[in-house]
Amino acid sequence: MASPMVSPQQGTLSWWQRPWVRWAALVVLLVVLVVAPLQLSEFTNQTIARIGVFAVAVLGLNVVMGYTGQVSLGQIFFLGFGAYVTAYGVTNEWNIVLTFVVACVAPAVAGLLVALAAARLGGLAIAMVTIALPIVGVPLAKRLSDFTGGSEGLSTAFARAPEWSGLFDDQWQLYLVLVIGGVTYLLTRNLVRGKYGRAFAIVKGNEAVASSMGISPYRYKVLAFTIASLIGGVSGFLYMIVIQYTSPETLSFGHSINLVAAMVIGGSASIVGSILGGIYYVLVPQLTNAVDPSLTALLQGAILLAVLFVLPGGLVSLPRALTRGRRRSHASRGPVAPPTTPPSTTGSGTTAEEPETERQGHA
Amino acid sequence: MRRTRSRTAFRVVAGASALALMLAGCGSRDDSGRSGAGNSGTSPGITDTTLTLGITTPLSGATAGPGTCTVAGVKAYFGAKNAEGGIKFGDGKTRTVEIKALDDGYDPQKAKANYDQLKGDVFAMTAGLGTPTNRAWRQAAIADEVPQVLIMTGDPIFSDKKESPWQLGFVPKYQNEGEAMGALLATSSGQHKVAILSQNDDYGKGYVEGFKDAIKGKDNIQVVDELTYEATDTSVDAQITQLASSGADVFFNAMSITPLMISSLQKAQQLGWKPSWFLPSNTSSPGAILEPGGASAFPGVYTVSFAKAPASPAFASDEDVQTYLAALKQYGDYPDPPAFPHCQWSWMVGATLDQAFQKMKEPTRDSFMEALRSIKDYQAPLMLEGTSVDTTQDDQPAVSSVVVQKYNGRGYDTVQSFD
Repeated sequence: MASPMVSPQQGTLSWWQRPWVRWAALVVLLVVLVVAPLQLSEFTNQTIARIGVFAVAVLGLNVVMGYTGQVSLGQIFFLGFGAYVTAYGVTNEWNIVLTFVVACVAPAVAGLLVALAAARLGGLAIAMVTIALPIVGVPLAKRLSDFTGGSEGLSTAFARAPEWSGLFDDQWQLYLVLVIGGVTYLLTRNLVRGKYGRAFAIVKGNEAVASSMGISPYRYKVLAFTIASLIGGVSGFLYMIVIQYTSPETLSFGHSINLVAAMVIGGSASIVGSILGGIYYVLVPQLTNAVDPSLTALLQGAILLAVLFVLPGGLVSLPRALTRGRRRSHASRGPVAPPTTPPSTTGSGTTAEEPETERQGHA
Repeated sequence: MRRTRSRTAFRVVAGASALALMLAGCGSRDDSGRSGAGNSGTSPGITDTTLTLGITTPLSGATAGPGTCTVAGVKAYFGAKNAEGGIKFGDGKTRTVEIKALDDGYDPQKAKANYDQLKGDVFAMTAGLGTPTNRAWRQAAIADEVPQVLIMTGDPIFSDKKESPWQLGFVPKYQNEGEAMGALLATSSGQHKVAILSQNDDYGKGYVEGFKDAIKGKDNIQVVDELTYEATDTSVDAQITQLASSGADVFFNAMSITPLMISSLQKAQQLGWKPSWFLPSNTSSPGAILEPGGASAFPGVYTVSFAKAPASPAFASDEDVQTYLAALKQYGDYPDPPAFPHCQWSWMVGATLDQAFQKMKEPTRDSFMEALRSIKDYQAPLMLEGTSVDTTQDDQPAVSSVVVQKYNGRGYDTVQSFD
């Protein structure tokens, strides 16, 4: 640990970066997540569950937009698709596991088909194609009323707490969201930090370089888009657990833009950023409602602008911005500034265990 | 190294268990307001001196205009009552009524969140606008036994007592409106050819269903052409052109989109097609639609209504209207003359709730629902002659009676027959 080779790093290796601190934080976090739903009020549980739903939707968007650099304005379509499949499955009394699988796979297949065509196009053209999804989705949901219930939508209250658990519905629903959302986050984190994540980053950085390294930009774009759709489907399933109602209004294009805004505000290409995005998506309307319900749109716009001016990297860059400020003041005293570690390693490294603590903080 | 690690692990586990114990011991939570927890005695949101009502409605976005009105009317009504000292309830106590309104932006998800937030603090939810936004928490309200009453949607499910025991719609169902128009046309003895254009959803279907029911069996009335459009369409010129070629002399246009309604009025004139029009109540505003659409060119433009239009010269000196406009300004935070009928409807919601409050014997939600469902032949302020609040009929909203009115170039006059 204290070998002379790493001593220059000693200054940057804060107590937080020591492994045992990390492990302790992780365990504490897990304990908090298990115990908290039992202690918190019903509304707090429901709010955290709602944050979970949209944090997963933002995570999916981050895979395609944040990590792979392809603008997608259609994420809400996949959430809505997943929600509709779930509602349809539950209404027709499919097995719940089957419903979940279909709710994930169907949007993924839809995403794959769209991506196969869209990823051939460059840059903004992909954004244009993805705009079409919610725009087509709304009238489609109204037209296919045999499956979707038309503009009246579908209600399902399937996630009631089972008798044996002795839990209230809101606690049970929150546990479901934490487990499903947690697994989705874990898998996505592993994906973007591994071989695929590096390929996504190169495709985002420069497609020509990617091709020269034997990485097909087309294939990785399609892959990222499909994964984003799959995660969108997962969030749709969670949406039905928590909100228990879907209608064509769920797919409205405006929500897609809000999801993009939430992703940018939370932090692009960041796991914690996705959670912060979900928190933003759910809490800011509640916050502005508490200030003045007739000025919500205005206040939300002001908050969005304020965050982007102060923290262009999103909320997730706040600690980094603070450390940088501190380092700069250190550097002005010392002769040599310590080498700044690339954000890709420190960023995702420190952030990996942070997400849930921050969530607790905001809940 | 190994020993340190195991010692660390031990420390971590010990710390975590301590934390868990601490959290678990951190006070027992209050479960009284939870779903399924039976409520005995008084319900939430009511004390001996106050009662709180909750509203979730669009206050931002495309439907903010009517949405703001749904809050303003109720606020104005109870603001004026509170200033007089409050309302004498059926249990003998006098209470003031507070309103907690939240914005849902016509997003069902936010509407549900608002409901979750409000349900523990309010006695009843009321007056909110929108079909999907009210449907989103309908089942939750039933499970929690929270009244969701006198809401602004023409969706029939809210008036079905079996499906919705804790709900009641306020405004007429789409079917009620279509039926009233059809009934007026049926009074005519002349030969009529009818063209129908409707929005391809439950809104358009409801209107057409009601209209067709009313003209069923009339040999002198014939539907010659029937088309639909999508709510997302930006033009209906093609449909208007096709319908014009049918030679119909009556045009039933079940359309809820303001700009489309104006452009259909204009397109028909360009084509030289001059039928009599039947328009839904929410797209028949004289100032916002008929004037820009040049509706005076047509032999007759008919719509249905149950509320006095404050802008109409006929009601300018009406006592109800004057009280209402003054209260709207003073207590409803709504300075302008109301641009949407929802302001008047929402005022009537206040008056109807007042009736229920006067009748309820106990300060409970059950007693309130019982009182609310027993109001009959109540002529709420601002109601047109021939209409009334009747909450006793199953499958009908609080207001199911409407009168047909004809455009006179400035406002509307009630008519009894089609000429």
